[in-house]
Amino acid sequence: MKKYFRELSVAATLAILLLALAIFAPPFFQPQPLLSLVTREAPTLVVACGMALVIICRQIDISVGSMFAMCSVCAGLFAAMHWPLALVAAASVLIGAMFGAFNGALVAGLGLPSIVVTLATMVTWREGLRWLRQGVWVDLPNGVQWFGLPQMAGQWTLAVFALAILIFLALAMKYLSAGRFIYAVGSDAEAARLAGIRPRLTTFLVFVFLGALVGFAATMNMAQSPQVDPNSGTGLELKVIAAVVVGGVAISGGRGNLWGVFAGLLLLACISPAVTYLHIEAFWGKAMQGAIILLAVVADGLRGRKIFNHG
Amino acid sequence: MNMDKHGSKNFLLRHETILFVALVAEWIFFDAVGHNFGTYDNSCDILRHSCEIGLLALAMTPIILTGGIDLSVGSLLGLCAILFGKFWRDAGMPIPVAAVCTIGIGALAGGFNASLIAWLRLPPLIVTLGTFSLFRGLAEAITHGVDTFTDFPNSFLFLGQERWLGIPSQAPIFIFAAIFFWLLVHRTTFGRSFRAIGFSPEGTRFAGLPVARRVAMVYVLAGIVSAIAAIIYTARLGQAKADAGTGYELFAITAVVLGGTSIFGGIGSIHGTVLGVAAIAVLHSGIAHALLPGEMAGMLTGVLLILALAGSILPKMISGLCARKSAPRLAKQIS
Repeated sequence: MKKYFRELSVAATLAILLLALAIFAPPFFQPQPLLSLVTREAPTLVVACGMALVIICRQIDISVGSMFAMCSVCAGLFAAMHWPLALVAAASVLIGAMFGAFNGALVAGLGLPSIVVTLATMVTWREGLRWLRQGVWVDLPNGVQWFGLPQMAGQWTLAVFALAILIFLALAMKYLSAGRFIYAVGSDAEAARLAGIRPRLTTFLVFVFLGALVGFAATMNMAQSPQVDPNSGTGLELKVIAAVVVGGVAISGGRGNLWGVFAGLLLLACISPAVTYLHIEAFWGKAMQGAIILLAVVADGLRGRKIFNHG
Repeated sequence: MNMDKHGSKNFLLRHETILFVALVAEWIFFDAVGHNFGTYDNSCDILRHSCEIGLLALAMTPIILTGGIDLSVGSLLGLCAILFGKFWRDAGMPIPVAAVCTIGIGALAGGFNASLIAWLRLPPLIVTLGTFSLFRGLAEAITHGVDTFTDFPNSFLFLGQERWLGIPSQAPIFIFAAIFFWLLVHRTTFGRSFRAIGFSPEGTRFAGLPVARRVAMVYVLAGIVSAIAAIIYTARLGQAKADAGTGYELFAITAVVLGGTSIFGGIGSIHGTVLGVAAIAVLHSGIAHALLPGEMAGMLTGVLLILALAGSILPKMISGLCARKSAPRLAKQIS
């Protein structure tokens, strides 16, 4: 109980928010808008899972938004060439993994700080995409949106994909040795090395994995609309990092789990619709998101201090 | 990183010297390729457009020296810009009073970051990520996302659009700030303490320095400088909107890191930052004048950043390979 205090408190906050909505704004719980909200956040959840792994490994990747845009446009172009959807998804995952491998090679191979490396790749990929595509939207052929299914079924498919990835990764982080390696490297790379783990390889693979997840999320995003926005994913990195941090993953690595990230993401995702339904002006949404991030870290700080004083 | 140790002995191999040579080469290249690039007017233009990001980068340098980071400067610039407009138009203050109030707000916002980072000891990356959202969100909430402040008096727009003694009128502010920060970082005990904190906060505390107060100081300074940058920004564009300064924090950080300041703290210089700002500004202007696609400037900035980093780490890599004790280094470099 005490061990998961942070995750539980986020879940409790989310529950209070939902309860307030249930009392003051029951229309929030209409199935169709709720399903749309879940679908819209599904790609973000997939990216957030990957980001959580990277942050647990004591790294950070702020280039996910640009990778997302690159993968979206590539996936859109493949789909426009009438490739089968499975192949499009595989290609997008592969491209994402390549971008991730580039970041990973610079961070793990050369030992450069991940925040600066990914800052650089963020700018480079984004501007490169603008240069190549000149901001042109990609038109998708029929049958790509919602995987050719009726809208409702398509939305459920996306939600199930995202949840399946979440559940698999959450269990893998707990029960697979690969997951434990990530915690070990994030807690103390040197100790992990002495225990026979290869910190550089682990770090590299975590970046590749995040890239692959971003590629998959891009496909999921593509399946939601008849066109691909070349500027998609702008600001995604901050949204995702915020969800991960609010969800109780320590930015100093080695701590946190994916259930917390899920709760954190839901909390942040519910704010802007909640703001609308509670008749607060919509412009306050962003400020409230910032306030929640700060509250989460302040709560962490106060708690950490208490433990420190007692111990 | 390793540069500093060798660099103090070998002037030619210092990061700043290499960057300066690169800057001169860049200038000569674009002068040869571009149309009207090397003219006096264009130089003034480059200076004018790099003032705001330059100011932010100057304030960012001491922060990164202490091993911190401030992602909120761009958002704070937006918040200060619209508050400045609010003070002037809606509260009816004269421009100088509004400016002073805005700077006060900047200091307050910086103090907010500072109190969370220095006294609650929260990670700066996350705190300023939160205030990044918060400040921008407040700016949007105050203006309802649409309100724009325009029609500033000409006497105020002079600050942003005219020339004074032949140079852009905001340039003296930047130059003054550069000198101030150079003296602060390189010629006072404060500057020494920033580096010491960057190397080892605990060690600095044991040496008897007030670490929390010094760390708080750099974030408050960044808040004040963001407010000044906001006023200059408003004067240059003649309008204040909630989206002012979006993405400026990344440009500022890029300039600082390009200028040779280690992102881990402890190593860096103000003149390096000024050169970094100049390199980026010249690149942007040069690309435009050479009629190359504007996106190339952003791409090249990213590539330059990686090259600068790799360059700073290469000597260490080589010596590490020779000694073949490479594995333990990862722990130090990553954290």
